[in-house]
Amino acid sequence: MGIRAVLTRLAGGAPQPVFAVAGEGGLPALRRLALVEGIELVSTPRAASTLLIVGRIPDALNDPLRQIHDQLARPRHTVVWGEQSFSPLPRATLVAPGEDPIPALGQRDRDHEAGEAPAMPDADPHPWRGVGPYGQGGRGMTGGTPFGRALTGRADDRDGLTLDQLPLAVGPFFPALPSGLVLHVKLQGDLVQDVSVGENPFTRRPGDPPLPAADLALFERALSEPVPIAALELARAAHHLWWLGQALAVHGLAALGHRAWRLAADVADVADGPAPFHAAEALSRRFDRLEIAVRCSRVLSWAIAGADSEGHGLPLAVVASRGLGPVARAAGQHEDARQLDPAYRALGFQPVVHSQGDTASRWRQRLAEIRQSLQLAGAAAEAQGPTSTPSGLVESPRGPITPAGHGPSHALMSLVADLVRGLEWGDAVAAVTSLDLDMAEAARPVGAGVAV
Amino acid sequence: MTQDAFALAALRPATSPLVAVAMVGAALAVGIYLVAVIDALVAAAVAGRSTTMRRQLALPFQRAARLLLQAPTTTEHPDAATSALASASLAALAAGGLVVVPFDRRLVVADVADGIVLFGAAMALVMVAVYLHGWSPNSAFPLIGGYRFVAQALSYEMPIALVLIGTALPAQSLSVAAIVDSQHSLWNVVRQPLGLPVYLIAVAGLAFWGPLATPDAADLAGGTTAESSGPPRLAWTMARAAVLVSASAMGAATFLGGWWGPLLPGPVWMGVKTLALSSVVILAGHLLARVRLERFVTVAWALLIPLALLDILEGGLLALVAR
Amino acid sequence: MAAYGAAVTVVLASALAFGVLVWWGRVLGGGSTASPAMATPPERVPFAGGMSPEFHAWNRYHVRYYAMALLFLAFDMEMVFMYPWAVVFVREGITALMEMAMFIAILLLGILYAWREGALRWA
Repeated sequence: MGIRAVLTRLAGGAPQPVFAVAGEGGLPALRRLALVEGIELVSTPRAASTLLIVGRIPDALNDPLRQIHDQLARPRHTVVWGEQSFSPLPRATLVAPGEDPIPALGQRDRDHEAGEAPAMPDADPHPWRGVGPYGQGGRGMTGGTPFGRALTGRADDRDGLTLDQLPLAVGPFFPALPSGLVLHVKLQGDLVQDVSVGENPFTRRPGDPPLPAADLALFERALSEPVPIAALELARAAHHLWWLGQALAVHGLAALGHRAWRLAADVADVADGPAPFHAAEALSRRFDRLEIAVRCSRVLSWAIAGADSEGHGLPLAVVASRGLGPVARAAGQHEDARQLDPAYRALGFQPVVHSQGDTASRWRQRLAEIRQSLQLAGAAAEAQGPTSTPSGLVESPRGPITPAGHGPSHALMSLVADLVRGLEWGDAVAAVTSLDLDMAEAARPVGAGVAV
Repeated sequence: MTQDAFALAALRPATSPLVAVAMVGAALAVGIYLVAVIDALVAAAVAGRSTTMRRQLALPFQRAARLLLQAPTTTEHPDAATSALASASLAALAAGGLVVVPFDRRLVVADVADGIVLFGAAMALVMVAVYLHGWSPNSAFPLIGGYRFVAQALSYEMPIALVLIGTALPAQSLSVAAIVDSQHSLWNVVRQPLGLPVYLIAVAGLAFWGPLATPDAADLAGGTTAESSGPPRLAWTMARAAVLVSASAMGAATFLGGWWGPLLPGPVWMGVKTLALSSVVILAGHLLARVRLERFVTVAWALLIPLALLDILEGGLLALVAR
Repeated sequence: MAAYGAAVTVVLASALAFGVLVWWGRVLGGGSTASPAMATPPERVPFAGGMSPEFHAWNRYHVRYYAMALLFLAFDMEMVFMYPWAVVFVREGITALMEMAMFIAILLLGILYAWREGALRWA
């Protein structure tokens, strides 16, 4: 049909909507992809026709991933950008880890006829069940299980009423939550009455393939050898800027989030590259402008202040004792592994601390730490700049790490359930976002650890 | 003054249905396209991306083509009737609000004597359309989005109605054409300075744009649009832009003097003013985060309504003095 | 009357236009293979991040802002009275202003009461 051909040619010019899923070790590559102009990362699989899987997917995530694949709009395509073939989706296009996935994505996108079939079997998960030959009879008001799925039951509410409560498993690939985090919530209206965190799907089992390079490889290197402080601090600033972009997108400021990601990519490029760390000055000025835009949004501060700081959420003492890194420092703890390092002390390092311990404090803390990191990088910006002193303890962006134990996210995960209980859904997402979790890091054993 | 209003109304001929549909359809089509272009341009500027004007001008058509080629999806047990009704009725309500806005001295589709009331009624029903869009897929996150919007809608209704009543005071008539005529000496944005800011905040809520995009929020995985794909998704996006255009046109007519303006013909001035108001809302959308609904409701009731009432008081006193 | 007729015509025409857009799009998007009726059950599962929900989403949702909705009803009635008042205001003069000011003052007390009693905060 002529119109269809015209539309197809027109559609080629628009950005390709992609629903991206990050497995183990996939997040850094995925973040870079968000900046490419021909790709648009969407927040629901229905809006996309292409599923992009970055990094290694453990077996526990196979079924959710097949479900997501089926929820994509037809014609659907899958591109796996990682280290192995993904057996549940045999028709996926494979891209090796070092390669650019854009050509494969574009090629699948143009392939309108050959969409993939559903990965899950064509069977009703909850068929109508009755007793008699026509499905009639049985227990319950309408006999059998009405419409295949049940209607929710009731539970008491703090208002003194007994109303419906919806148990919901918010899955591993919910876009506003960290990849791999499963929250079993009981919602009444949009209030989270009860929550339990599902098992971490990235938990390693014997026989799993070796771990990919850590997201925070530079900090793990600093455990045993001297690393230029400028590189460390720029890597830290880049990490927090990636977090900032993601958090801004969750709060509705997608364009500002994009700006933060572009700055993060530039900072990371300087950190990874050879010595011209004097670029830190220009980056610092760019960050100033971004920070003004973020801080000037009074509306954002309302959104972040939220129910968290009005008596709900976690008490300050709990956050202070169970938190780590920026989360603990936002709750008044003056703990930073960098202050034990003489090279840092020579640069005049003092930990930045905020006192409230709520979501707004954590935002302010990270913005202040970005600024501090860029300033430290600028101060240490000579070619033979000062290097860190290797000891058994390094302050990574999420918290202190030692050569044995789990990543800092492991301790932070224990805060999630208590933090979210009693909050409205929007506030719950804002609170979890402010913790900066990485489920894959939480499951990483020996190689990176936390001083618990 | 009232005699003049009636005399002017007599000059306006009743438009035939075909012309009416063509006018409103063209105005909405152009408006939706330009809103999409401005939105993309502002997003690129805020994100620091460099882009060419040519690419941005073609982009809305390309995105629309992509959505038209995508297959629609449904959920397990949706309410098919209301899901079809939601986008269609949102667009219809936007068009219904636009019929009372005059494009020129003699160019208005429906010069009813109570145009503001008709516009208010159309905009009140937007709440129902968005709620149905959230309710129909039988999915948790769209449902939450729908209920959020009801709270938001109940809160912006009053400020928007009150400031429009304020503009009716100097004109002594609820007809939008009469309100535009009454601004021949001075625009209402100068006479009643509190009106336009309150109106724009309410328009952002009405079109659920930017800081008030609560039903389609990112923390709800797209909210009411979490389960829509393909042509229904395109229809919803266009309908939402249509509501923004319609409310901006109403604001241009009641606050910015409508078709009054030197040199250029009336419809051009209306277009410019409508786009100006839409651009303000779009810019706010990219620079202000999404509100926390409780806080917005408190602000709407405790701040915006008293401001709107103050605006009416001030407008009324000025109208009495100017008599 | 003709004006209202034109308004109704436009409203119905726009609804029809959008309905046609959606229908045409479905036809265009691949015909029968893409029709929602052909979707398998796993394709129709509501999106919640990958897990399949156990219950219908439709439930007796606890609308916590019901107190604010009652306040809205009161102000809606005030709005209804203000519409005709705006038309005759200039003709009636300062007395109209005073009377409406008294009416509004009573209702503003209502907002103040609701605000202090926490009807505008519900989380």
